[in-house]
Amino acid sequence: METSYYLTCRSLTYAQKVSGALSAAMLRNIIVRTPQHMSREGCGFAVRVAASVLSDALNVLARSNIPPKRVYRATPSGSFEEVPW
Amino acid sequence: MIYLDAAATTLQKPAGVEKAVLTGMRTMASPGRGGHKAAMRAAEKLYECRERASRLFNVPDVERVAVTFNATHGLNIAIRSLVRPGDRVVISGYEHNSVLRPLNALGADISVAGCPVFDREAALRSFDRLIDRDVRCVAVNHVSNVFGFVLPVYEIAALCRERGVPLIVDASQSAGILKLDAQALDAAFIAMPGHKGLYGPQGTGLLVASDAARPLLYGGSGSDSKNPLMPDYLPDMLEAGTHNTPGIAGLCAGMEFVESRGCDAICAYERELIRLMADGLSALRGVHVFAAPADAEQAGVLSFQLDTLSCEEVGERLDRAGFAVRAGLHCAPLAHRTVGTVNRGTVRASVSAFNTREEIAAFIKAVDSVARGR
Repeated sequence: METSYYLTCRSLTYAQKVSGALSAAMLRNIIVRTPQHMSREGCGFAVRVAASVLSDALNVLARSNIPPKRVYRATPSGSFEEVPW
Repeated sequence: MIYLDAAATTLQKPAGVEKAVLTGMRTMASPGRGGHKAAMRAAEKLYECRERASRLFNVPDVERVAVTFNATHGLNIAIRSLVRPGDRVVISGYEHNSVLRPLNALGADISVAGCPVFDREAALRSFDRLIDRDVRCVAVNHVSNVFGFVLPVYEIAALCRERGVPLIVDASQSAGILKLDAQALDAAFIAMPGHKGLYGPQGTGLLVASDAARPLLYGGSGSDSKNPLMPDYLPDMLEAGTHNTPGIAGLCAGMEFVESRGCDAICAYERELIRLMADGLSALRGVHVFAAPADAEQAGVLSFQLDTLSCEEVGERLDRAGFAVRAGLHCAPLAHRTVGTVNRGTVRASVSAFNTREEIAAFIKAVDSVARGR
């Protein structure tokens, strides 16, 4: 299983904006509930992308002025770590 | 029945609305809560609603579109966000109780920018006189729900911008009918119902909000849940509790209809119907019609009185004859005080895109019969 990345968002609506921008750039993504251990604020939503598109995704979001709140790497073993971006 | 009470709520809806509500009830759960398919279907529909509204009203960011339960809900959010007890607020002489009552409940110092009905220049002069830097905010009706008078909101918005005063626009009678451009207005808030000119179901509304927004209701938002208060960002801060998802689905279908037909075409058609009605009723003996002069703007609302009967009696007789109109003060006593009709009220007929010229002709005949005592 490929490593995936979670782009956490402050709200569902924000996650939908992020997802829309990535889809418009033909970058596959999915909106998911943010796992609690990467969410300091409680429940929320994130946009999950494959490692292969992370760099393009972050570029698209920077250009669209809709940066994610934080970025986490999810390893196939099930652990998460915040990554600088 | 011939329905002429669209200013209260549109009864005939586009075919897609009922279907969308049913689909919402059957397939959509609570948006922004679970991550399962039924919740995400609801979330997608809610986002579609925000996107459609953003397109229709030229809102620069979907996050500024909050869903409400009606225009009154949105106006209460707007007023409670901006006004504190004793603050000076300028309003038009045509405001609905959905503006007056929240302001009075807060103990605002209300100044009324009065003007004769259908006199837009006089309206603008009144606002110009009253808006200064001590004014906390201006609240103005885009269209009077009693007389169909179109107030010069864009010019009032320019005055507000020039003097640094936040603006609240009540678009209850204009959304889906008149041009409503959030970026041109640059208002702090624009409140509108979903169930009138946007053809959604009752229990729906929209609020175009700004950073001035503050929560009115407190509760779950599906986000930021460790925070003991509401999130401090839009739209979540204004949407506590479960959404009316079937209603939102219906509102989407209603807005799709408005987008496909076009506000300009809907407005032109409604104006034609109102002009036909005004001309027909004005020609009847004993009927006093509040119609705009030919060169003035009137939306799809027309008030009239009969010399010999109370407005309520007229409404009752028209109902027996198969016509749905509204009689009384229409929750807008200030508008009646402004025009001098507060003691009697008026009979109000209001149209939607689904009324026909034939219905208007039949209505004129029916009013003639009532006026003649037949």
